[in-house]
Amino acid sequence: MADKRLEIKGVSLNFGGLAVVADLDIDVNEGEIVSVIGPNGAGKTTLFNLITGIYRPDAGDIVLDGKSLVGLQPHQISQRGVSRTFQSLRLFLNMSVIENVMAAAYGNTHAGVFRSMLRTPGMRREEREIREFASQRLAFFGERLMGYRWDQPAYSLSYANRRRLEIARATATKPTLLLLDEPAAGMNPVETHEIAELIGRLRDEGGYTILVIEHDMHVVEGISDRVVALDHGVKIAEGTFDEVATNPRVVEAYLGTKAAATK
Amino acid sequence: MDTFIQLTIDALTLGSVYALIALGYTLVYGVLKLLNFAHGDVFMVGTFIGYGVLQLLGGAESPNVPVWALIPIITVAAMAGCAILGVVIERFAYRPLRDAPRIAPLISALGVSFFLANSMQLLFGATPRTYNAFDLGNGELYFKGFDIGNVRVPLLRIITIGSAFVLMIALYLLVNKTRTGKAMRATSYDREAAAMMGIDIDKVIRFTFILGSALAGAAGVMFALRVPTTAAIGFVAGLKGFTAAVIGGIGSIPGAMAGGLILGFAESYTQGYISTKWSDLVVFSILIAFMIFRPQGLLGRADIRKV
Amino acid sequence: MTDSTPHSSETPASGPAVGQDEWVARHAERRLIRGGPLAPMEERLRAVPWWVWLTLFVGVMCLLPAVTASGYVRRVAFDTVLYMMLALGLNVVVGWGGLLDLGYVAFYGLGAYSYALLDSDQFHVHLPAYVAIPVVVVIGAIAGFLLGLPSRRLHGDYLAIVTLFFLQLFQTIATNGDSIFGHNVTGGAFGIFTVKPLHAFGHNLVVQHQGVFAVTYYFVALGFFALIYVALRFVNLSRTGRAWRSLREDPLAAEAMGMPVNALKLMSFAFGAAIAALTGTIFASLSASVLPLTFYFVLLITIYTMVILGGSGSMRGVVLGALVIGPLLELLRDPNKSRIIFYVALIGGLVFAFRRSRRLGIVVAATLAFGFVCHAIAGALHHSWIAGSADGGLQHVVSYWLIIPKHLAGWIPPVSYVGVICVALVLTLVHGRLRLVLLPPTLYLAAFVWDNVMLTQPDPARYIVLGLILIALMIIRPNGLLGERRVEIV
Repeated sequence: MADKRLEIKGVSLNFGGLAVVADLDIDVNEGEIVSVIGPNGAGKTTLFNLITGIYRPDAGDIVLDGKSLVGLQPHQISQRGVSRTFQSLRLFLNMSVIENVMAAAYGNTHAGVFRSMLRTPGMRREEREIREFASQRLAFFGERLMGYRWDQPAYSLSYANRRRLEIARATATKPTLLLLDEPAAGMNPVETHEIAELIGRLRDEGGYTILVIEHDMHVVEGISDRVVALDHGVKIAEGTFDEVATNPRVVEAYLGTKAAATK
Repeated sequence: MDTFIQLTIDALTLGSVYALIALGYTLVYGVLKLLNFAHGDVFMVGTFIGYGVLQLLGGAESPNVPVWALIPIITVAAMAGCAILGVVIERFAYRPLRDAPRIAPLISALGVSFFLANSMQLLFGATPRTYNAFDLGNGELYFKGFDIGNVRVPLLRIITIGSAFVLMIALYLLVNKTRTGKAMRATSYDREAAAMMGIDIDKVIRFTFILGSALAGAAGVMFALRVPTTAAIGFVAGLKGFTAAVIGGIGSIPGAMAGGLILGFAESYTQGYISTKWSDLVVFSILIAFMIFRPQGLLGRADIRKV
Repeated sequence: MTDSTPHSSETPASGPAVGQDEWVARHAERRLIRGGPLAPMEERLRAVPWWVWLTLFVGVMCLLPAVTASGYVRRVAFDTVLYMMLALGLNVVVGWGGLLDLGYVAFYGLGAYSYALLDSDQFHVHLPAYVAIPVVVVIGAIAGFLLGLPSRRLHGDYLAIVTLFFLQLFQTIATNGDSIFGHNVTGGAFGIFTVKPLHAFGHNLVVQHQGVFAVTYYFVALGFFALIYVALRFVNLSRTGRAWRSLREDPLAAEAMGMPVNALKLMSFAFGAAIAALTGTIFASLSASVLPLTFYFVLLITIYTMVILGGSGSMRGVVLGALVIGPLLELLRDPNKSRIIFYVALIGGLVFAFRRSRRLGIVVAATLAFGFVCHAIAGALHHSWIAGSADGGLQHVVSYWLIIPKHLAGWIPPVSYVGVICVALVLTLVHGRLRLVLLPPTLYLAAFVWDNVMLTQPDPARYIVLGLILIALMIIRPNGLLGERRVEIV
């Protein structure tokens, strides 16, 4: 029996009377890749926002490695080892590529303002380490984010490279749990395939436990150890890809049935 | 008790002026999400337009028109002048920046505010201008009125407070009951979606500026009927208007009215019971208290962080 | 494995194909080729490290007293150095933190007043500089921190209101502070005028030397400026600086990436406030007095204009902004210099707008001709209309072309002023030939207003110029002179 890394226990969230997430239970085990699927508005991104502390659940508990995350600030949750990417890319667009990654090392570095002002040897050493670390993170993506690109502003990157940079930035907080919000959105088939491969490598080489939201069923099929399907904030199915994909409730949620249409 | 009644009347007068200014901020913030720093100076220009028209009509002492027509005429003139000014400001200083980063129109607004204040200073100097409202009809606006206990409520105050409330109710009805009002609310809710639904956004924004600035013009006349005006009053008036809008819940029309009155009462009572000097401190404390305990304001809605 | 862009044929041998990025990567090369003979030199200048520039700059500034003995010029230079420091401090909050701090000059005032209380006859406290300055800096930082506290959860707009109100509150307290529970603390509207110069180890840093501005203060200010510049540059390139800029770019993402956004906002606030307070000590110790109205909206707009003109976010930029605006405001005080600046700006603007095209010549000639015609008509109507030239210099020359009446009728200033604004605004709306036709009368009217209306009152006139610069900058070039162009996805 694998260790439970993340436990979501009976979490609910309402926005002005509308239940966005209702009594949700999800476990993610150590080293697992779990995909969250569901139609638009099913509450997938809200789930990520709940885990990362942007929203606070109205009920239930979110536990990471045995400790509750509820009530912590997003940056504290990040320092506990949870990192994420955003569905609608949120890079620091006017900062250089390498600075985007270096900035994310904030939580696990220490030099204070005064040491920085005086540029003490310790601070300079740490600065070199951050840069070295950031370049390692970028090197994970092969040549794509290397060399001259480091000093270019992030807005000059292509769409696919922005997605890669966001993943690199997310890993620079030294997380144990990585939340990827539609990493393949807007990519062409070749890039999508590549992203799927990359997610596998992130788990195998990076050692991250990964929770991923994805619409592309090929990606989901290719990478997932387990799939959770949501609809209207409720978990409607869980299991292997094949189990979930053939589950009638999932099919109904995506395609609708006569019964659903007349409801 | 007499002092209390007197202060309450003062508070209502002051509060209705603040409320009218605050409405201008709230309307513009509603559709553009822009803090229009120049609004206080539009108000200031309104006081001067009123003054100018009053002088053209012969001054308060011997006006060429009957007194009952005089105040409406200068009010309407100030409202019209300010409306034009508001439209010009929107067209030239804000519209080019509609898609710029959030901070750009704010800074442009600061520039407009500074420009207006100093232009008026350049043209009309620093000497305070007074309407001499006391001379209107040989002081009957002050002597006539009704009594509460021993306190006489002058006609002028009644006119001021009454017309402010009429304007506010008219605005409320306009925004909530008419087609144009519906278009404004739609624009406020989601500008792009409203544009796709066939609403002419430019027109809506222009109309919003007309409304807000006209209210500032009316407020200007009401203000200057009591107190002399200079080119420098825009800053503080604007600041108070803002604060009222924020306390009431920026974007909310009843909120702006409530905020204005709260501010009026706070200032008036502080000046009457504590000290004339420290009313700013009290108002600032109220603002800070709201920021800490109810940042969305009295009647505003808490916004949900979108990701 | 290609990105879906048409440039994939340019794939380098190693690594996967990348489309648009390659094109961006060569941007620098293309510019070099386009730049002509000056381009290699520019490229070489770019390679000069920043500290060489800083040393050079401070060195040149140090030479200034050797060039001129005028106490006035030295004082202006000193003020400009203070402006540079203030601009650097504001840049931390606005340029890096992305927070609209409209109470900034209140911290400057707070520093000045704090120093005034720590070294004056007000309470007969006389602390040496090495105690007073750190104390004031700490007071400034704490005040910035405290003001940030209630605002920490608020986004830009609310912060702007709270800080703007704080500026007003500072004003109220300074003006009414002559009777706080019966104590005269701030000296009221007349301020404190017994502030002593900086002193340490029994030596006074004298303000005046035989009635002329003593240059030592200038050097002290330059020293502080260099110190701040270096410290800020180091901070900007540290994890704190990166975090500030991340927060400016996207607070939510910054928070999700482990940066404590609220603490960082407070820190940037406190940082800016501390720098402003430090500048305040130097100002107070030199001026020997502090007045409430020094620290008000006018100064706020001045410093904002400097930061925006130079390029918010760029340290070199904001220093340049201060270097331009500071002396410009001084020059505009004097009608003759002001007139020269106007015509230089006018011609510069025309050359910038039309380059070296034929239209430039047409517009200039038309404006001149238009002027002479107007002048002749006005002179024929009545001699007094063109008889106003009193002082010599440029005005005398100009008076052959420009109508300068002896006495302005009361309606002329408002009508001509509003008129020139209206025509100028209309000019921005029309295009092509119509604009060309309208331009000469507009220019002539502008010259008329400048000479007859604006120059009579230098104070509002120069602030009007400031306001116009601010608006025009936001519309034409929001990134300022040296700022990087920013993108923002809303």
